[in-house]
Formats: sequence, C-alpha cells, structure tokens
Amino acid sequence: MGHLAVMVRKDLLRHWRSPLGPGLVLAFPLIFAGLIALTFGGNGGPPKVRLLVENRDDGLASRLALSALRDARMAQYFDVEEVAADAGLARIERGEASALLRIPAGFTDAILAGEPVTLELVRNPAERILPEIAEQSMTIGVEVLDAGVRALGPGLVGLRGAIAGDGWPSTETVAAIASAFQSSAQAVSELVFPPVIDLAVVRATGSEPEEPGSTFSTLFLIMLPGVAVWALFMVGDTGMRDLLTEARAGTLRRQLSAPLAVREIVAGKALATAALATISLALLACIGAFAARRPVDVVAFLTLSAALILAVTGFSAVVYGLARTERQGATLASIVLLVFAFLGGAFVPIDALPASLRLVSRLTPIAWGTIGYRSLLEHGAGLRGVLPSVLVLAGFGATLLVVGAWLLGRRAARGAAA
Amino acid sequence: MIQAEGLSKRFGDLKAVDRVSFEVRPGEIYGLLGPNGAGKTTTLSMIAGLLTPDEGRVAIDGIDLARDPIAVKTRLGVVPQEVALYEELSARENLRFWGGLYGLRGAPLSQAVEASLERVGLAPRANDRVRTFSGGMKRRLNLSLGLIHAPRALLLDEPTVGIDPQARAAILDLVRTIAAAGTAVLYTTHYLDEAETLCHRIGIVDHGRQLAEGTLDELKRLHGEGELITVRGPFEAAVARAWVAGDPTIEVVGAEAGTLVLAAKDGAAARVLGKLLDGGRPIDGVSIRPPSLNGLFLKLTGRELRD
Repeated sequence: MGHLAVMVRKDLLRHWRSPLGPGLVLAFPLIFAGLIALTFGGNGGPPKVRLLVENRDDGLASRLALSALRDARMAQYFDVEEVAADAGLARIERGEASALLRIPAGFTDAILAGEPVTLELVRNPAERILPEIAEQSMTIGVEVLDAGVRALGPGLVGLRGAIAGDGWPSTETVAAIASAFQSSAQAVSELVFPPVIDLAVVRATGSEPEEPGSTFSTLFLIMLPGVAVWALFMVGDTGMRDLLTEARAGTLRRQLSAPLAVREIVAGKALATAALATISLALLACIGAFAARRPVDVVAFLTLSAALILAVTGFSAVVYGLARTERQGATLASIVLLVFAFLGGAFVPIDALPASLRLVSRLTPIAWGTIGYRSLLEHGAGLRGVLPSVLVLAGFGATLLVVGAWLLGRRAARGAAA
Repeated sequence: MIQAEGLSKRFGDLKAVDRVSFEVRPGEIYGLLGPNGAGKTTTLSMIAGLLTPDEGRVAIDGIDLARDPIAVKTRLGVVPQEVALYEELSARENLRFWGGLYGLRGAPLSQAVEASLERVGLAPRANDRVRTFSGGMKRRLNLSLGLIHAPRALLLDEPTVGIDPQARAAILDLVRTIAAAGTAVLYTTHYLDEAETLCHRIGIVDHGRQLAEGTLDELKRLHGEGELITVRGPFEAAVARAWVAGDPTIEVVGAEAGTLVLAAKDGAAARVLGKLLDGGRPIDGVSIRPPSLNGLFLKLTGRELRD
C-alpha cells in the first residue's frame, strides 16, 4: 500500500506541476456547454418565427388576421413583418425570414361571401424547425377562421352588403346584421362556451417555473452532464497515457528495477488515473452545483461518480494496454471517445437521436453516465433512480480494468526489456 | 557480492550475451568494457532483474535473483544509461519518490535525501525543477537516485555518456567514494581511459562474449605487453602475413586488405619496422602504440574500440 501511495503522490504532483493537459481537458466541457447554451439559449427566451406577410387584399378580413398575428400572446412566438407584394420571396431566399404568408387579393370578399379561398405559405428551405412552427400555427389559424366563417355565415353576408353599399348603412341594416351575428353566436355558444376540453400546462416534479433569462443556465445544465462525462474519459486517457510516457522516458524501466512487482506499478498508475479523474469530477461537480443551485442526493452522486471513475480507469487501461505508442493510444482513444460522446449525449441529447442510435447509445459508458447525472440534476433522482447507470458503469469498468491490467502488465514487462 | 554465472540471452537469432561470468567483491569497481552492442547493457539488465536470462544465474549478497527478486532488488542500486528523471519535479522530490519506492519513510527518508543532495553537490538547487538542470547536473542526480537507499551493490550503465570532462571527473570521483565505502560497483563503459583509471578489475566483452578478465596488469601480462604496429598500404592480407612469417618476436593480431596489425614482443618493434620498410614493400604508413588497454582490446578483437 505504501508503494501505491508513493506512486500516486508522484503522479498527482507531476500533473499539478504540468497542469496544461488536464486543465484544458477540464475546461473543455465548460466552454463547450457554455457555447451551446449561449448559441441556443442566450437571454431572449425561445427563438421567434420571423414571418413575412404579403397582403394583396388589404380588406377587413386580412387586416383582422394581421392584427391577430400581432396580438401580444402571438408576438411571443411570431415576429410579423408586412412586406410589399412580390418582395417576400426574395427575402426568404436571402434567409431573412422563416416563412412568407401570402394573402390573395379578394380574400375579404371571399370570406364575407362564404366562398373558398386559399392562403399561401412559403417555407424557408434552409430552416427546419421555425418554418414547421409557422406552418402548424397557420394550419390551426386557418381551421379556426374556417369554423368562424361557417358559424357566422348569415351575418357575414349581411356585413358584405353593408360594406359594399355607398355611404353609411341604415340603422335597420346594422340592426339586421347584429341580430344575425347574435343568432349565430347563440347557435354555437353551447358548442364553444364553456370549452368541454381544456389544456392545463403543469411542470414536472422538482422543476421550478422558468424565470426570464434562465434559458442559458437550463441549456448549460442539459449539456454539462454529457460533456463532463466525456471530459472525464479524456482526463483518464491523459492519466493512463503516462505509463507509455514513462516507458519512453526510461522511468518505467527504472521503477521495474526497484523492489516492486509489475502489478504494483500498473495498480499505481490506475490509482493515480482514478485520483486525477476524482479531482476533475469534484471540480466539475462544484461548477455544476453552482450553476444548478438545487439540492442533489449526495449518496447517489458519490455512488454514481465512483462507478464512473471505475469505468474511466478501465477504459483507459484497455486503450493503453492495446496501444504500442503514446500517439497510437491517443488517436485510438480520441476516435472511440468521439463516437461514444456523440452517441452518449455529449453533443445532442440522447432523446433527440434517431431510435436506432438511441438503442446503440446504451452500449456506451458516456450515455449511462450522462443519463445518471441528468437524472440527479434535472429530476432530483436518488440512489434507486441512478442504480441502472451505477450497475452498468461499474460492470463495464470492472471488466475493462481486469483486461486492461493484464494488457498493461504485459506492456510494462516489455518496457523493462526495451 | 555480485555474482553472474554463465549468463546468456538471445533475441531471436541474435545471441546478445553468451555465457558471461564474473564476480564483483565488496568495495571493488568492476569494469565491463566493450563497444556499443557488445552486450554490456543486456548483461546489466539481467543482473538488475529487468531481463530473465535464458541460461545462467545471478546472485546478490548470496541471494539468488530468480528465487527472491524483491530481496535482491532491495540490495541493488541501478543507474541506467539514459537520464531517467521526472523533469517536472525538483531534485528533492525525485529523490523522495525513489527513496519511497525502496521503502524509506519519514526521518530516514529525509536524511537520505539530504545526504544524497550533499553528496552530488545539488543541495543549493534541491528545490529547482530538474528541467532547469544542465546535462551534468542531471547525470549526477541520475546517479544519486540509485544510491538513495544505500545499496550494497551498484550497477552503473555508462554513467558518463555525453557530459563535459568536469562533470565526468566529478562522477568518477563519486564512484570511487562509493566503492571505498564498501559498495560493490559494476561499471559498464566503452571509454578505455575510464576503465584504466577507475576499475580495479576489467572484463572485456564483444559480440556478447567475455574475451578476458582481470586487473589491468593481469590482462597485459596474460595477453602480452608488446607494442602494437599498424601497417597500411595497397597490399593483400595473405601477402602481408607472409612478410613476418616465421619471426618468433612477432604475432599477427589482424590482417585484412590494406591493414596489417602486429604485436611486437620485448622491444622488437624497431627491428620489425626496419625489416618491413627496407624490403621495398607497398607501405603507405606505419603507427606504433605503446602497451595499453586499447592495444589489448585491439589484440583481443582485431578492431579498435570506438563508438
């Protein structure tokens, strides 16, 4: 045990004296998560649909429709700009808006006459989500408008006559239109008021109402677990690669001439790697706790972290047991970890992956680590909630550590002969 | 103290060490002399427990390496040829680490570290990182790491390679001091002058084989103390051999096209030289060397000892 402590102390001291490598690896997840949060979050809430409207009608109905789109509640989601006829398409092509709504000439007349009329929506092909929101919203709007026109049909016909005539309509005409609207409203009132089905939006247990400007921290916390787990694997890579660095420098050979068994040297390096990963994890956890400002089950966190560190150590032991040189090991680890990171939710949430990739992602330790930490952070999960992640990571780590230790033992013996 | 008996090691088709045997006594400096690739480092690696011999046996202080490697390694100090240091750490931290590996803890470790620093003259730079050290300072620290646990036997693998004469002299003085304190020192080198001035006994190796062993005087006596005459010119080996055939005072050490090496006994060099030059033979140049280890090596191997 004394030898192991001496070796771990030496390695940690060396990393402390040359902190650039582990430091960059640690800074990376914070920078990455921050950039993602800044790009897609910022402080302005969710992105708005920029909608251009070519109003070729300029009648009562089209003006009412435009007013509806500029309503305060709609303005949270839509940024509506009225543009000259035939000017909208050019701006869509320049990428200046997500969609273009074309209201045809004679729209108001057709509405009032109860005749069919078509609105045209042009989507920006360079965007995917915002034009989709515009299309879905317009579809709902058109259905509501269509239902209204059908319900108010007689009143609208009278209104059309009054608008089309010269001068002010007579008192009798206005009374007749009002009476027609009232009759129509009474006819549909039983169907519309009060609504039979209502939609109440509630928040998940443990979550708090979102405050204005909290999108950045929300996105940061969504991204942090994935990239932090990825970064820990890279820290482990740095730690275990040191065995090959020592073989090159001659210090491994020198250690083998000391009264030590090869397995002690391998165990010392694995322990030092685990210690480095633990320190890194503690730093990331502090930053995560500061950003989250919510209580986390400490026992669950520590258990999950221990399992993750075992997985990190086992993975890097296998990589550097297989690699012949430091460069070969670093390349192998980078490629494998990049794939694991993508599948494991470091770049995009696992839920956003296609179904087939979601299945494959369960084969990666990064996915299980990410799922575990997100459960802790977002859902306030306890030990039972993270148990699947703990078991998978511990099993993965223990298996790889056994294989890696055997491979590294052979490597260390070869290092002695070199 | 250090016993090597019939050590052999093969790497594929190459027999790197072939039945090498020697013993180093307490307080003795034993020089293993040979050119690069002679098998010196392989022999040292087998004694240090880094390589397993195909044949033969190693014992330190009477303990068989194969039976109890940990006990042997505890008694052994190893100074590798390469400067194997942690450059991010200070001299003191390097010493503390290696002392810790040999089981030193607490006050004994601190005392050993300070004594080592004083011994190699690095006490004023003890807390400086090794990467700021000169080549000579690194070599001295490299040596002190092998001594931190006061070993009874010390293996030094070409410890003066690539350093300036002043640093080299300091290291050689240190080795003498260590041996004087009773440590058995096995010292490999390809520098003839180091072997001549430093070592009590010398073993000459080449191509993995042990060619000779003894004190410098013994080696000279065993293999003749005559001067070496090297003759160069446009001649064939067989022709050159015929020039000195039948002369009992001359021994042909080496003969190849263009070069003839002769060992002349008991002041016969001048006479032999006159005979060669008077005959109108195709000779371009002649050199005569007094008796030396280099001459002995040339006589044993038929070639110069050089890098």
